[in-house]
Amino acid sequence: MSGLTLSLKEAPRQRVDLSALTSAIMDGKTAKEIAGLKLTLGNRKCSLGDIFKVTGRPGSRLVIDNCTDKIDGIGARWSDGSVIVQGNAGAYLGKGMTGGNIHVYGNAGAYVASAMGDGHIHIEGDAGDFIGAPQAGIRVGMNGGVVRVEGNAGDRVGDQMRRGVILIEGNVGSHCASRMIAGSLAVLGDAGPNLGLGMRRGTVLLMKPPSHLPATFNDCGSHALPFFHLFLSYIESLAEGNQTIDPSRDRLHRYAGDLAVDGKGEILFYNY
Amino acid sequence: MLIRLKGGRVYDPANKINGKIGDIYVRNGRVVSRPGTEKPDQVYDLSGKIVMAGAIDLHSHIAGGKLNIARILLPEEHRDMVEDRTRLKRSGSGEPTMTSFTTGYRYAEMGYTAAFEPAMVPVNARQCHLEMADIPIIDKGCYAMIGNDDFFLRMLAAKKDKKAIRDYVAWMMNATGALGVKVVNPGGISAFKFNGRKLDLDEKTPHYGVTPREVLLSLAGALEGLGVPHPLHVHGCNLGVPGNVETTLDTIAGTGGLPMHLTHIQFHSYGAEGDRKFSSGAARIAEAINKNKNITADVGQIMFGQTVTASGDTMAQHAHSHLANPKKWVCMDIDCQAGCGLVPFRYRDKDFVNALQWAIGLETFLLVDDPWRIFLTTDHPNGAPFTSYPHLIRLLMDRSFRNDMLATVNKHARVASNLGAIKREYSLNEIAIMTRAAPARILGLKDRGHLAVGAAADITVYSEHANKEKMFSKPDYVFKDGQLVARNGRIVDVVWGTTHVVRPEYDSAIERPLKTFFNDYQGIALDNFVVREGDFPEDGRYRFKAHPTKKRRAA
Repeated sequence: MSGLTLSLKEAPRQRVDLSALTSAIMDGKTAKEIAGLKLTLGNRKCSLGDIFKVTGRPGSRLVIDNCTDKIDGIGARWSDGSVIVQGNAGAYLGKGMTGGNIHVYGNAGAYVASAMGDGHIHIEGDAGDFIGAPQAGIRVGMNGGVVRVEGNAGDRVGDQMRRGVILIEGNVGSHCASRMIAGSLAVLGDAGPNLGLGMRRGTVLLMKPPSHLPATFNDCGSHALPFFHLFLSYIESLAEGNQTIDPSRDRLHRYAGDLAVDGKGEILFYNY
Repeated sequence: MLIRLKGGRVYDPANKINGKIGDIYVRNGRVVSRPGTEKPDQVYDLSGKIVMAGAIDLHSHIAGGKLNIARILLPEEHRDMVEDRTRLKRSGSGEPTMTSFTTGYRYAEMGYTAAFEPAMVPVNARQCHLEMADIPIIDKGCYAMIGNDDFFLRMLAAKKDKKAIRDYVAWMMNATGALGVKVVNPGGISAFKFNGRKLDLDEKTPHYGVTPREVLLSLAGALEGLGVPHPLHVHGCNLGVPGNVETTLDTIAGTGGLPMHLTHIQFHSYGAEGDRKFSSGAARIAEAINKNKNITADVGQIMFGQTVTASGDTMAQHAHSHLANPKKWVCMDIDCQAGCGLVPFRYRDKDFVNALQWAIGLETFLLVDDPWRIFLTTDHPNGAPFTSYPHLIRLLMDRSFRNDMLATVNKHARVASNLGAIKREYSLNEIAIMTRAAPARILGLKDRGHLAVGAAADITVYSEHANKEKMFSKPDYVFKDGQLVARNGRIVDVVWGTTHVVRPEYDSAIERPLKTFFNDYQGIALDNFVVREGDFPEDGRYRFKAHPTKKRRAA
């Protein structure tokens, strides 16, 4: 399998913006040309080759070795092929990604899958705030694709998300699914305060009753709708190896909201 | 230093020079007469080139509070459009809401040497001047927004005499460092605060019980009485409402001969005919302008693409907020003196309404006969960023290009407009009138917009080109006060322009009630409200130039 490996020469002290390295840019380039790519390091410009040792040749696979949380924008606007991050990733992992997949063995920073269109992101460790959220000022966040975080995630997971699936196997912070437009979000651990604030449509799945819900959510009772079984089966297949979900237990409690906006969102959880 | 601009084809309509080949001499920032035997220090050979005065934009939202709110509303613009600093220039970002320094560079690169902020809310005057102090190269100035502030409306409701209103207007122009006065939706912004959502020309405002017509006539009369050169700058009632052409015609008919400048008239020229209840009123408006010599107008042309509408007209902006694209908008009150509404817009050529708006603007340009009374604006950033002016000039000067563009827009709009049938093409001389000579004249800038001996040496040199957009986007040379500032559309030197103001006289007795009013109702004390020239150290680069008032008419 052809591929390019970037190996950090030393841990940078300032942030590096790698978002210029898209799959489209890599197409038809030699490793040397990639090493000459201009990046922003802190407040100055430098070549990619100044920061990374570049080996292999560009192809359908990009491996980043000894990666640290200072490397932002990994896999930004990625459209094809896979990215493998050995170590931690910085902010904006897979920003605006439209296809392919990203696998991070460590943790990732804030804004994972920011306004992502399609593709698959798998993070084995924890992730920061604003998963799937758009950058400040933009009104539509994640618009497709799948994000799976095996660890915990920060605040505002799924902010302004519009389509796609986010699965957090650990806990999430406050304001999960805030301003959610649509899409699906599953949290297997605990959810923090203000879950679903400003949620218009979309589905949030929890394994147990949330500790706190905004007053603008209404209890709709418990149901065993056919959709629940399908949804739970899908989430179970996504969380491979995780034993928490049992699709045969498909009676879920349902809250609808946020009534302050559209009120067509739903929060589902097991209540027994 | 003596500079000779040799052998260019000069278009200087203010001095009736229409394409004559000649020399221009410049010394110490001024145009001077041909010196005897003295050898010029610098000679620019301009044979085959076109020479005009620097262009003047009399209506462009480039400073003041609301532009900053627009910048905050649209951070993506400042993320995606970034310009690095260079040895000469500061860094900057954005286009419809571009940063102050970039505004100066972009104007100068296009051969513009002056631009005027039309909507300074008086309480934002200091902010506005501070921002203008950060706009390099070009000359600036601003119009104070009066007509919805409580002090004025109280005076009007209490039927105070003309002198009191004159004193207030004059005091306000002095206090805010204004060149003119603008009224935005006369009475309408005040009405909005009392839950009015629509206000016609002769409808009484909910709280003060005065009509927009009274506001207009009172302010226009006050300016005429004070001898302020620029007539009342009017953003009329019912902006953007289909059928508002009637209101605009009514406004024109009811001026009683008082001079008025109707701004971004394109947004006020809509009929309500046809299947979609939206049609062009441009022909009727143009006819009225042709007939009433006391009326001038700027167009506020729209161009297709992303921009943001920024207006003091809270009523109109609130009504159009559902059209925001991207979906976010702001409407707010500014210290009870006026309003502020920001609605991002993406004008689309395939959209019936947008395409017809585009055609209405162009119809207005082409149907008003006298280029001295119609001005080239896009109401930056409301219709489009000012960077689209070269494209707009091409649309006006090149009929076949215009018709090619017309062929690409929404076909129902194409049918609803008679733009395709209009044969007129602007000449270079007419462009020089509408972008130079006429704005200078209507603003009372005696030494700008022309090239006679004694004029400021704001000079733009173009290469003749069949594609007028190319010609006007990258002038060969731009001189500001005799200094070469841009060459081939690139900045080569950064100088600082002047801020033009008019300081009409007033009876200082007006300050007593104002002081009480400020103490009781405003968030700022009167003494801190007043803007003084010494308030702007800025390395001495911010200078005011006060222009004289006209001779007062016998009252």
